[in-house]
Amino acid sequence: MDILQIARQAVERAQGLGGNAAEAYVLHAAALTVEVNNQAVENLKLAEVSGIGLKTIVDGRLGFAYSSALDPDSLQELVGNSLANAKETSPDEHHVLPKVKGTVEEMDLYDPTIGQISVEEKIEKAKLLERTARDYDQRIKRVRKSSYQDSEYQVALVNSHGLESTHQGNYCGVGAFVLAEDKGEVQTGWSMDLTRKYRQLKAEDVGREAAQKAVAMLGATAVPSQRVTIVLDPYVASNFLDILAPSLTAEAVQKGKSLFQGKIGEQVISTALNIIDDGRLEGGIESSPVDGEGVPTARNVLFSEGRLEKFLYNTYTASKDGVSSTGNGIRSSFKSTADVGTTNFFIQPGIVSPEELLAPVDKGFYITEVMGLHTANPISGDFSLGASGIWIENGQKN
Amino acid sequence: MLEKAQLEEVLAIALRHGGDFADIFLEKKKVSAVVCEEDKLERVVSGKDVGAGIRVISGESTSYAYTNDLSLASLKKVAEVVGRGAKGNQQDLQLDLRKAQGTPAFTIKQPPETIPMEEKAELVKKANSAARSLDKRVKQVTVSYADIVQEVTVANSLGVITEDQRTRTRFVVNTVAAEGETIQTGFESMGASMGFELFADYQVEEIATLATKRALLLLEAQPAPSGKMSVVLAGEAGGTMIHEACGHGLEADLAQKGLSVYAGKKGEEVASSVITVVDDGTIPNYYGSYLYDDEGVKAQKNVLIEKGELKEYMHDRLTAKQEKVETTGNGRRESFQCRPIPRMTNTYVAPGDTEPEEIIKQTKKGILVKRMGGGQVNTANGDYMFEVSEGYLIENGEVTRPVRGATLTGNGPETLKLVEMVGNDVGFKIGTCGKDGQGVPVTSGQPTMFIKELIVGGQGGNGENLQPYFKRR
Repeated sequence: MDILQIARQAVERAQGLGGNAAEAYVLHAAALTVEVNNQAVENLKLAEVSGIGLKTIVDGRLGFAYSSALDPDSLQELVGNSLANAKETSPDEHHVLPKVKGTVEEMDLYDPTIGQISVEEKIEKAKLLERTARDYDQRIKRVRKSSYQDSEYQVALVNSHGLESTHQGNYCGVGAFVLAEDKGEVQTGWSMDLTRKYRQLKAEDVGREAAQKAVAMLGATAVPSQRVTIVLDPYVASNFLDILAPSLTAEAVQKGKSLFQGKIGEQVISTALNIIDDGRLEGGIESSPVDGEGVPTARNVLFSEGRLEKFLYNTYTASKDGVSSTGNGIRSSFKSTADVGTTNFFIQPGIVSPEELLAPVDKGFYITEVMGLHTANPISGDFSLGASGIWIENGQKN
Repeated sequence: MLEKAQLEEVLAIALRHGGDFADIFLEKKKVSAVVCEEDKLERVVSGKDVGAGIRVISGESTSYAYTNDLSLASLKKVAEVVGRGAKGNQQDLQLDLRKAQGTPAFTIKQPPETIPMEEKAELVKKANSAARSLDKRVKQVTVSYADIVQEVTVANSLGVITEDQRTRTRFVVNTVAAEGETIQTGFESMGASMGFELFADYQVEEIATLATKRALLLLEAQPAPSGKMSVVLAGEAGGTMIHEACGHGLEADLAQKGLSVYAGKKGEEVASSVITVVDDGTIPNYYGSYLYDDEGVKAQKNVLIEKGELKEYMHDRLTAKQEKVETTGNGRRESFQCRPIPRMTNTYVAPGDTEPEEIIKQTKKGILVKRMGGGQVNTANGDYMFEVSEGYLIENGEVTRPVRGATLTGNGPETLKLVEMVGNDVGFKIGTCGKDGQGVPVTSGQPTMFIKELIVGGQGGNGENLQPYFKRR
């Protein structure tokens, strides 16, 4: 299937039928998932999907349609729908397509090894993961899920300003979800690893970590309410970033939905924090040479020593503020236009080791799991969560 | 779609290398959506999604593969790939597919595809204006309309072919209100297995008003107190709690894997005697209803818990086979990209005979929950956490003032044992339930329920018997 050719045709046809501007995004992806149970394959899934999303602009109005059927009739219907939908939306001068100058630097996002390894070997990976988790402790009674997955994709993007871009990538991963049981009490633990390099996949580490998390929670008790120092496990800390992310998009700011509105240049969070979004992070799962609109991705420092440096932009929000897109027009699939979003979004590591971090804590709570984080309000920033973890006394995890 | 003979050929290829069961799921889905935000009609979207998934079950192993390409050549290839892993002897399946003759319990009066996009956009604009004109403190309003028409054909190696067409329409309003430094949000939604006739029964302005008033109310609300107290869940709150804290644990796949507190408890007392829990996929026009499930089994009404006693788990074909029982018609999938798993449809607690007012009158001190927010549950041990998006204090049998930021934490089975009174009302709310990465439309409902004691979390502090829920070793 020539996805670039399909994208070209859709754009040309849209222009021929009265679209002032058009942008087509075509995706083709294939994936494998293996789940084992008791050292036997329980589920094996093979996937192949493709689809096109077509954005059209007519007199400043935006239309959009998508289709996973790519036959000529479906493509014709797609173009007609996208243009018809553009008749209903409100005109907005900021609906523009990016003009990308120069060449975009290529990125290494494809590991041929993933495709060369046999399905049997990948099944072995999932089995190894399950064994490692089970052997960790005799209280590990069940492994609910022990899985291997990989996925590869090709993307073609064409717009009526002459942009033509294609890239491909793949990644693989393993995940485990285990149950520890003791004296009638059941606790769960999970872990996963996603990587772009097959040889870097750490099945055994993931199995051990999931098991260790479940076992650690056995015998847990409630503690009375109190104010204490808390230390967040990296996984929990990165969960908190998910609450923060929407507030850092120019879309939220422009719509009055961000806590950080009007605070550029101000010290808004702890000086210990440097928070970065890097669409070009080497080996990053969310890395790509260009974003969902064809704009080259970049490393964007959002908080530097706690000071708010910038917001994330796609082409539309950038036009509104008279700035350039930061390369953060993100498509979750071919079924939507490119909204502002994060790529590889992280807190930059500091200079102290995790042990040194705990040392000054006389009494505290090391949080390994929070419950209900998705109920936190990203607009007001309010949250109230269930939490579990390990009590800290005199700088040691108890 | 494909001819009967072609489906027979594909299924025969899938089972050629062995295996106990094969089915093919063909889907054609059309959606349209309109979104208004920032006082502008921002998005008008049309989508078409087609595909097929083929499954082969061989002992305890399931192979599944899917594609967008519905040509016979492509499906034969997928069947070959998926069948290769099956164990057993070569077999030559001679199928004569028979169409199941079920008739839909309801009809769609105004199919979405017959309504011009302009009319859909008009509704969205109406709701937007209604929300914005209510109060100066309204800062942002997001209104969205969406409809979906899903045509599903399922054919299997037992020789049955079923066809089902599902039409669903949904309307959602989100309001952001602000005063000084305080920002609050309000949400309301409605949806049904209906076409555009949904809007003959419900006014979109009402939805907009409800969402907006909720956001405004929260601006004036005091932070919720925390501690142990009685909780009254109003019927209009919707059945999120019963769905999350009980329903998931009654899905047979979780129970069979020992991932449910309800595992192995059939016939046992698992809730207070006033509690009867039902899952019913046949209720006309309800958001979670269908004629056939996603493995070609007729939807049915299943009593899961009767007067506190566990009667039945929800099954798909696979879990039913393992327990040697009949499937309950709960095998659902998000799309052709997913294999079916046991899921809820329309799940509710059956009403009792107490007047809701009487329940409040008997509450000394507690929280009245008028609208539940999101939540999370650990099905393995039943621990849950929910947020309250509209709550009030009850003091000496009277509803006094609104509170914000309240959360409820507890344990599903324990909570259901603490329910002392059940009202004679039932309220339903729609939702998209997520499990194993698959989202499916559901409704959940409940009457007004009195729970003697739950842990309420809030920022108000200074509650009595403080014992928030967290664990230490």
